[in-house]
Amino acid sequence: MFRSAVLRSASAARAALRPAVAAQRTAFAAAPRASLMPKIQSFQAVRMYSAGGALNKEEVEGRIVSLLQGFDKVNDIANIKGAAHFANDLGLDSLDTVEVVMAIEEEFSIEIPDKDADAIHSVEHAVEYILKQPDAN
Amino acid sequence: MAMALSAYRSLMRSARIAFQGDGPILAAAQVQIRNEFRQRASLDPSDESVPAAIQHAEQVAKVLRENVVQGKKIEEGQDRYKLRIHEHTERGDNESIKTAGSGSGGCGCR
Repeated sequence: MFRSAVLRSASAARAALRPAVAAQRTAFAAAPRASLMPKIQSFQAVRMYSAGGALNKEEVEGRIVSLLQGFDKVNDIANIKGAAHFANDLGLDSLDTVEVVMAIEEEFSIEIPDKDADAIHSVEHAVEYILKQPDAN
Repeated sequence: MAMALSAYRSLMRSARIAFQGDGPILAAAQVQIRNEFRQRASLDPSDESVPAAIQHAEQVAKVLRENVVQGKKIEEGQDRYKLRIHEHTERGDNESIKTAGSGSGGCGCR
């Protein structure tokens, strides 16, 4: 008895609430959208770091290239290209290569296990490896 | 050679852990590591000093990683430091102290 009364009053309250909520929703949808739009766009111009999408190839390559440009052991900055090989094109020896790979780790905040790190010998390899890492950013 | 490279990498990693956020010291450590490896870079891989040098490098890496902590003065003029104990820092237990007194000899406290 008591329960059915509670249920009845609850459903009555819900029915009474619903039109009001619906009306509010349509009003919100119709009116302020036009005025909100420019605000949202300007907000998105701020770069968000929290939930970035996947890295794209150009960006990864660009960051690795600029990292190499700051590395004083590279023989000639003009040689730093997407396909450049660390030893053959950039004149880096194996110790330098280790350092480059570690700098790449730091740049993308990941840790590359030794066996993978040993296999990275060119900018192309590095880009490929970074793109495969879900944690890289 | 692969051994030397992996020692080099682990040493560089250790330095980065030990001297994190301390630019000048980290740079100095890296220069030192680099120089030591460069000095021996032309050694023949079959040279008998190579394994010892690599072992030395690995031990240095271990000490840097586990037994070096950074301290930062909490307040100027006071001799109190805040230590940055990190996940790799070696934390010994005192088990050996309990057993040291038993039996003959040892610390002589019995």
